[in-house]
Amino acid sequence: MIVDDSTAIRKILLRVLSQTGFALGQVLEAGDGQEALRLMEGHDISLILSDINMPNMDGLELLRALRGSATWQHVPVVMITTEGGQARVEEAIQLGATSYIRKPFNADVLRDKLAALLSI
Amino acid sequence: MTATEGTALPLQSAEMANMLFAATREVFTSMLGSELQHLPESEAERSATFDGVLSLIGLAGPVIGNGALVCTAETACDLSSRLLMSPFPHIDEEVLDAVGEIANMIIGGFKNLLEPHTGRLQMSIPSVVYGKNIATRDSKADIAVALRCGFEGGELELKVRLVAARDWAESRYPKKA
Repeated sequence: MIVDDSTAIRKILLRVLSQTGFALGQVLEAGDGQEALRLMEGHDISLILSDINMPNMDGLELLRALRGSATWQHVPVVMITTEGGQARVEEAIQLGATSYIRKPFNADVLRDKLAALLSI
Repeated sequence: MTATEGTALPLQSAEMANMLFAATREVFTSMLGSELQHLPESEAERSATFDGVLSLIGLAGPVIGNGALVCTAETACDLSSRLLMSPFPHIDEEVLDAVGEIANMIIGGFKNLLEPHTGRLQMSIPSVVYGKNIATRDSKADIAVALRCGFEGGELELKVRLVAARDWAESRYPKKA
């Protein structure tokens, strides 16, 4: 699942995910954390790529909700965000983020990171 | 580059301009596949209004203000085509979203470079305006930086205006009795 309020970033991440073997029809898209939680119901989610700075429910609030949920507490969550400050990275990791990738990113590097993450 | 010298902020405008250029260049190199050049400002080309796209992002914390990306519609389409690897001949919702995201990454990168000097800052989500005869009014700033940059697809301008939040400034620069 991709959670980002920018359709441009969702498109780029869809392309990267398709290059790591995901069928595009398998990838859910949400524009914020609230929409993500709503769309996830009834689905088997193997990975979440989430922005932090979003309207309604931001990525850290989404992460907090997921880690407090019996259903989603173990789903890998990769934060992909412009927020690169060490304090914000540590906050995300403490809340249970699996990995943290800063925008701007190189698509090849991101693809390799996601492939490594999915092979674990 | 144009800039005014800082007063209450622990930075000179030249340092901020360097940070802004570094953040912009990183976005161009990583995500747009293009090298960026720093262009001299042309006062003759300045006018009170402009046609094109403006993406504005607010910053808040120990310093408050905003950052902006300004470009023509043609440049906005070119930037979007580079980001999304598909052609965009005209301005549409996708182009405006892409320009907003490019501004978000640039100002976000700038914010990350600024935070060691100022403390933690919050960023708004981008607002993007497209139109003709757009007029902007700049509020008072302790530091204002404007960069004109060129790449093979066109030109763009980056602007940042910041003022120290009063509580933060007074705690570090107390008034003498």
